[in-house]
Amino acid sequence: MRRLPVSLVLGLVAFGAACGGDSPSAPGPNNQLNSCPAAISQSKAMTVLGCGDFKPKRITGEINVRGNTAYTTTWNNASPTSAFYMWDVAGNVPTLVDSVTVTGASTLGDVVVTPDGKYLVVATEYSGGSIVIYSLTNPRSPQLVSRFTNTETNAGVHTAEVGVVNGKLYAFLCVDPGGGLNPPAKLVIVDITNPAAPQQVYSRVIGTPYVHDTFLRDGILFLGLWNAGVAIWDLGGGGKGGTPANPVDMGTVQTANGHVHNIWWLKDPVTGISRYAFVGEESPGSVGTSSSGDIHVIDVSNMAAPREVAFYTVPGAGTHNFSVDEQNGILYAAYYNGGIRAIDVRGDLGTCTDAQKSSPVNQAVQLCDLSKMGRELAVGLKDRSNAVFVWGVQFLNGSVYASDMLNGIWKLSAVSR
Amino acid sequence: MPTRAHLLSASLTLVAALAAGREARAQHEGHAGMAMDSTKPPPPANLVHVMAQAIPVVTHAHNTAGGRDLTEGYLAQWVAMGSGRFLQGHLLFDVTLNGEGLTLRRGELSTGAFGEGFVDRRHPHTYLHELIATGVGSAGPLAYSASFGRGFVPYGTDDPMMRPFEKYPINHHLSQILERGVAIGALRLGPAILEGSTFDGDEPTSPGALPRAGRFGDSWSVRGTVLPLPRLELQASYANVRSPEEPSGSGLDQRKQSVSGRFVNASGERYVLAEWARTDERDRNRNISVFSYETALLEGAVTVGAVDLGLRLEQTERPEEERLADPFRTPRPAADLSIAGITRWRAATGAVAFPGATLGPLRVYPYVELERLSASPRSPTDIFDVRQFYGSPIWMTSLGVRVRYGVMHPRMGRYGVALPAGPTLHVLGVDTKKPSQHVGH
Repeated sequence: MRRLPVSLVLGLVAFGAACGGDSPSAPGPNNQLNSCPAAISQSKAMTVLGCGDFKPKRITGEINVRGNTAYTTTWNNASPTSAFYMWDVAGNVPTLVDSVTVTGASTLGDVVVTPDGKYLVVATEYSGGSIVIYSLTNPRSPQLVSRFTNTETNAGVHTAEVGVVNGKLYAFLCVDPGGGLNPPAKLVIVDITNPAAPQQVYSRVIGTPYVHDTFLRDGILFLGLWNAGVAIWDLGGGGKGGTPANPVDMGTVQTANGHVHNIWWLKDPVTGISRYAFVGEESPGSVGTSSSGDIHVIDVSNMAAPREVAFYTVPGAGTHNFSVDEQNGILYAAYYNGGIRAIDVRGDLGTCTDAQKSSPVNQAVQLCDLSKMGRELAVGLKDRSNAVFVWGVQFLNGSVYASDMLNGIWKLSAVSR
Repeated sequence: MPTRAHLLSASLTLVAALAAGREARAQHEGHAGMAMDSTKPPPPANLVHVMAQAIPVVTHAHNTAGGRDLTEGYLAQWVAMGSGRFLQGHLLFDVTLNGEGLTLRRGELSTGAFGEGFVDRRHPHTYLHELIATGVGSAGPLAYSASFGRGFVPYGTDDPMMRPFEKYPINHHLSQILERGVAIGALRLGPAILEGSTFDGDEPTSPGALPRAGRFGDSWSVRGTVLPLPRLELQASYANVRSPEEPSGSGLDQRKQSVSGRFVNASGERYVLAEWARTDERDRNRNISVFSYETALLEGAVTVGAVDLGLRLEQTERPEEERLADPFRTPRPAADLSIAGITRWRAATGAVAFPGATLGPLRVYPYVELERLSASPRSPTDIFDVRQFYGSPIWMTSLGVRVRYGVMHPRMGRYGVALPAGPTLHVLGVDTKKPSQHVGH
């Protein structure tokens, strides 16, 4: 951070400036709107196919793509009405199709299409926190089906993931901590099998102090509990007798430096390896300018005693959401000002030479360092002429889609092995 | 529905009012405060001083949050203050009750202000603003005191309520730490004062909030002050504050530095303060500094004939955070540790205070303030678009009246032997029929 020149004279300078006008020294993000920023040379750069038309004046949040339609949310709208956008991503250049406004929400931090593609679930923050469910009978024109909110979600729903357990469709809501007399953070599980009438089946105060995201696979739920690390719950697939209405704890693990935000449990369809889960650490950042936080690899072969075995770090940048091309064993990580990182996650990640080990910042333990192991395959969007700040990323059918808080939406070619 | 905090506030206010009824007759202009001066004979024992104040104020803000033009009126800074000296001056009490939680629930319109979940509005203070007991003693030339209770941490400069402007400076949260459960030790030797404290780092989460006992002792501060000349005061201080904005203690820590110089003449008619402060926010998990905010402020006041004039110049950096549907509020606690940028504010504030008048037992002191502000992003890549959000130019105008019963305390933010003697600032309203006196220098 740059220091101010400070002296008593500064006060007089300030006075003069205060009377002289208000002219920011550089354009803000809304003045940077252009078509597709020109590229500069960058080694290992992912190929950019196109960028959105950047019409939205709002700040872009999460992305979810289904078929030829992408949905992007908006963040920090500073008004009681937010919006999400539908994009036609059939071609290389995403084209804005339409938008949907959501009342009673200043931020829409998450969006997800149900596994059957029939519904869209949007999380809303803050006061009056909820999930809003839309029918995707016409994917380009979502129609409101229902909105679920109650006193337990009132502080705001930070993320909402969906998944099927024992034939029923559930939404997993990570609820923000409230201030003052409001309750702490909690996880709320809602049965949305009948999306017109969502039913809460479970809630638990959890997280230190947040629960930020969840990942469901095969009846096992992973939870990002910030400084409380990662928790693993059996909801019906873990053999512990758990259900969505009565989860059973399977194990927990503290990853280096905490701030656990998101998880992806990989089941590699080629090697059959399912021992690794990838944990995103969301450490402090200034949106648009800086970020911090690493990817931590935990070995969950024994879910009662998971352990961290490797990590991946990008100097000067921090990770956010993931998407994995499991067929090719490549993890794509949104890395805010670090663009997109494509990492080879196939094979043994917990065995490496001493020379391939490092310690995460402020830690003494030596772990396998995926960068030193040569597993960074490519970098996306760092070859653009203007700054990017990538919130979310999704691999789908040979393409990678990214939501960029500063610029909107990008479409890139997926990396080949 | 009245909350427990409301009832507590009402009870304490009643106690203060009863005390005022009994003791106020002993007051007169100039015996304000309980300033200590180890070089002078001790003042009379068992002295109680009470004061009550309210400021009805109307503020017009042009191009405040969201580019709005707003005109609002409030009852601000309505407080009952009391201080007492017992046991021949060995036991002191300071109490301040603040009713802003009842009249400033939405905050006081103040473009640039930030803190405790409010932005571009100053947050209301807690009902129990200050309740401190202090024991005082001496050993030869060394005077010492120990203070305990809820109140000001020995860090930075005086509370803005005792300074020439009704509108707080933007740097309030960089330059003062208050409303904490605190234990303070202070030493004074001639012109040198040294204070150390430990306290709870969490800031209040509502007007009725009390310090969290479980966090007492997780933060500390030290302040050194020298008085090279009468009424000239130089201070430097440092504070290590754990997770002020996240009550459970999992948020960013703050390392705060402050230096300042303050002068007031014997009559209180000439005053100047210059201060610099810096707050570094640290990620405790990664043990690194992640954000920093600096401020420099110069303010002064002078009495010219029947009026008092004040001028404040300030440059302060503040964090920009995600805003709620109400653009004057931010999530508390926040949902993560990130910010939306850092904005550099520059503000010039002028004030004119007019001669007071008597209304029964009350004195009223009208004033007007005019403030011109500008804001710019510290980094061109910050996502918070200052120009779009505010527009230009940014102005605020305030008209108000300080309504007071009793005499204004001269200082706020120091206790025991750490409180140098000195007069109340004339610009705050002093009864000219009763020339200002003061204890000490």
